[in-house]
Amino acid sequence: MILLISLVVGLSMILIFPTISEAQSEQKTFVTHSGSVIQTTGEVIDPLYVESTLEFDPMSYLRDFDYGRTSTLPDGTTLREYTIVAEDDKVMEISPGVFYNVWTFNGSVPGPTIRATEGDTVRINFINNGSKQHTIHFHGIHPAEMDGVFEPVGADGGKFTYEFIAGPVGVHPYHCHIMPLEEHIAHGLYGVFIVDPKDGRPAADEMVMILNGFDTDFDTENNFYAANTIPFYYQHHPIQIKSNELIRIYVVNMLEFDPINNFHLHGNLYQYYPTGTDVIPSFYTDMITLSQTERGIMEFKYNYPGKYLFHAHKVEFSEKGWVGIFLVKDNPEKNSPESEYGT
Amino acid sequence: MELSNNSSKGKVIASGIIPFAFVVLMMVYLFGPGADLLDLGVPLPEITIEKVDFVDSEIQATVRNTGPISVEVVMADVNDRIQPAAVEPDRFLERYETALVRIPFEWNTAEPYTIGITIEDGTRFEKEIEAAAPALELSLDLAIFFAIIGTYVGIIPVMIGLLWLPFIKKISKQKYHFFLALTAGLLLFLAFDSIEEAIDVSDESLAGSFNGTLLVATVVVLSFLGLYYSGDKLVKKADSSKLAKPVAIALMISIGIGLHNFGEGLAIGAAVGLGSIAFSTFLIVGFALHNTTEGIAIAAPMSRGKLMLGKLAAMGMIAGTPAIFGAWIGGFVYSPFTSVIFLAIGSGAIFQVIIVIMKWIRDEGDKNLSSISVVSGFAVGMLVMYLTSILV
Repeated sequence: MILLISLVVGLSMILIFPTISEAQSEQKTFVTHSGSVIQTTGEVIDPLYVESTLEFDPMSYLRDFDYGRTSTLPDGTTLREYTIVAEDDKVMEISPGVFYNVWTFNGSVPGPTIRATEGDTVRINFINNGSKQHTIHFHGIHPAEMDGVFEPVGADGGKFTYEFIAGPVGVHPYHCHIMPLEEHIAHGLYGVFIVDPKDGRPAADEMVMILNGFDTDFDTENNFYAANTIPFYYQHHPIQIKSNELIRIYVVNMLEFDPINNFHLHGNLYQYYPTGTDVIPSFYTDMITLSQTERGIMEFKYNYPGKYLFHAHKVEFSEKGWVGIFLVKDNPEKNSPESEYGT
Repeated sequence: MELSNNSSKGKVIASGIIPFAFVVLMMVYLFGPGADLLDLGVPLPEITIEKVDFVDSEIQATVRNTGPISVEVVMADVNDRIQPAAVEPDRFLERYETALVRIPFEWNTAEPYTIGITIEDGTRFEKEIEAAAPALELSLDLAIFFAIIGTYVGIIPVMIGLLWLPFIKKISKQKYHFFLALTAGLLLFLAFDSIEEAIDVSDESLAGSFNGTLLVATVVVLSFLGLYYSGDKLVKKADSSKLAKPVAIALMISIGIGLHNFGEGLAIGAAVGLGSIAFSTFLIVGFALHNTTEGIAIAAPMSRGKLMLGKLAAMGMIAGTPAIFGAWIGGFVYSPFTSVIFLAIGSGAIFQVIIVIMKWIRDEGDKNLSSISVVSGFAVGMLVMYLTSILV
C-alpha cells in the first residue's frame, strides 16, 4: 500500500513539478488595446499594433492614381495607355507573420488605380506572366470583345490589348474573369477604375479604399478583412487629413464570400454618390451597405480636429482588420466652422 | 569440436545482425541519396490546442505542434475575432513542441468560447469550450475539497461494499462462485468503461498523430502483461501458506480497482476544472453507488480466509484513495495525454484481475466455468454496473 501511494505521489509530483519549476526569466510587459497589462517571458503576437514588414504600402496606394501615358489621337481625343502585368506566384506577408499566395496586377493587391476622364480612349496592354490564364474585365461600357470574359489570355507571357472609351462617369472595379472566378478574385486580381466627369469634380483630398479580405485557409470564409489589403493598417498608421477640407473617398467593395460589407464613419456624416455616376448625392449618412463590387463616392469634411475611427459596422470584419483612423489636423487656412453639408 | 561450436555461434550472431544491417542500410539510403525518391506531396502543418484555461482576465491555450513540419504561431483569436496575445516560450514550434498562448480577454463565466490559433501560412486551428469556468488554482481549500470528493467516491463506497463480507462468508460454494463471477462481471464493465473514457479523451484532445486508439490498446496490453507477470509471482509466493492466497488475489483486485478509481478521480477533477459538472452532488452520489460494488469485488475472495479486518481495511484504502490523487491531478494539472495513459493502465490492470479471478474460480470449483452460478454471476455483474452507470 505504501508502495502504491508513494508511486501515485511520485507520479503526481512529476506532473505538477514542471509547471512550478518553469523559471520566470526575462519579463516583457504587454499592454493590449483594451488597456490590460500582462507580463510575459515569451513573445508578443499583436496584429493590431505590431507592424509587419510590408511590401505593399497602403498609405501610398491610398492617394496613388495612375493617369497612364497620355497622347492625343488625330481626332483630338486623349489616349491613355497602361501596361498591366498579371502574376500568380507571389507570396506576401498580409498580416504580421501570415504569408499568403497573392495573385497580382502589377505586383500588388489591389492593382493600380486607373484614372481617366469620360470620353478618353483607354488602352491597356495586358501581359499575363502567371502560370494560369487571366484576363481583365472592366465594369463600365465597352464592346463585347473588350469584356475580358471570352478571350482568356494564356499563361507565361500571353498578351491582349483592351481598348475602349472611358465611361460612364463614376468609380468602377476591374478584375480577372477566368473561372473559377471566386478563386481568381479572392487571391487578389482586382483594382479600381475611376472615370472623371469632363468638367471635373470640386478640389478635394482624394483617396481610394478598396474593401477586401483574404481566406488564408481556404474554407470559403475570410480570415482577414481590410480597407486596402493590410488588416488594421490605418489603425496604427492613421490617415492624416485637414479640418474643413473636402475629403473624397472612392470606395469599392471587392470582398468575396461575405454577402455584404459596409462603411461607417465616426463623428461625421458623408454625402454618398452610389457608383459615382451622378453629381447629386443620393444620401447623407454615416453608414452605407455594399454588396459585391458595389461602390460609390463619399464626400465629407471634419469640423473638429482629432482622431476619428472608420470601420465596418459588421463588427466581425472590423475585429478582423477592417478598421482605420482619420487623424484630423487643425487647418488654420480654412477655419470657417460652417459646413456645406447638413446645415 | 569447440572451434566449430564457436563458429556456429558466430553464424547465429551474424545471421541475427545481417537483416538488421540491411534495415540500417536502407534507412541511410532513404535519408541520403534516395531522399528524392520519396520527396512527394506537400507536408501539411498541424497544431492541436490541447488545453484551454480561463484565468483572471486571460485565456490560456496550450498548443502542440502535431504535424510533420515545424510551425510558427502568428495569431490568436477568440470566437473568430483577432486578439493580441503572448506566446511562451516563443512562437516557433518544432514537432511535438508545445507553447502557451496567453490571450488577455474579459471572458464571462459559463459562456461558450472558441479559441483559434493561426499559423504562418494562414491556416487556422480551433478548439471549442462549452462553458468557460475559472481554472482551478492550487489551494489548500480546493485540495481538501477534492480529498472529500475522492473520499466519497472512492474510499467510503468501497468500505461499504466490504461490509458484504460476512454475508458472502456464510453462503454456499455455489453462491460464492456466483459472487466471484459477479465480481469479474463488475470488473469487466469497469475495464470497458475505462477504455471508452480513454478513447473519448484522446479523440477530443489528442492530435491524430498520437494514434489515440492504438495508444490505448498498447498501454492496456502492456499494463495487463506487466501485472500478469508480477501478479503471478505474488500468487506463487502466497502459495507457500494456503491462507494468504485469497489475500494475494484480493490485493491484486484492490490494486486494479485502485488504478481504475485513479482514472475516475482524474475524470472528476478534470470535470470540476473544466466546469462541466453541473449536477455535481448527483454525480458524486452516482459514482458512490457505482463504486460500492467494487467493495464486493474485494470482499469476495477475502471471505474464504480468516477474517482479517486490518488487511481488509488496508485493501479498501488501496482501492479507494487513488480517487483522491486522481481528483488532485485531474483538477490541478490536467493533461489529456496522462489521462489517457492512466485510464488505459487501469483497464489493463482490471483485465489481469479478471483472469486471476476466473483462474481461481476454476481451481476452487470443479474446473467448470460454465456453471449456472458463474455465468449468471458474470451477467448480473455487468448488468448491475450498467444500471448504476446510468446514474453517473
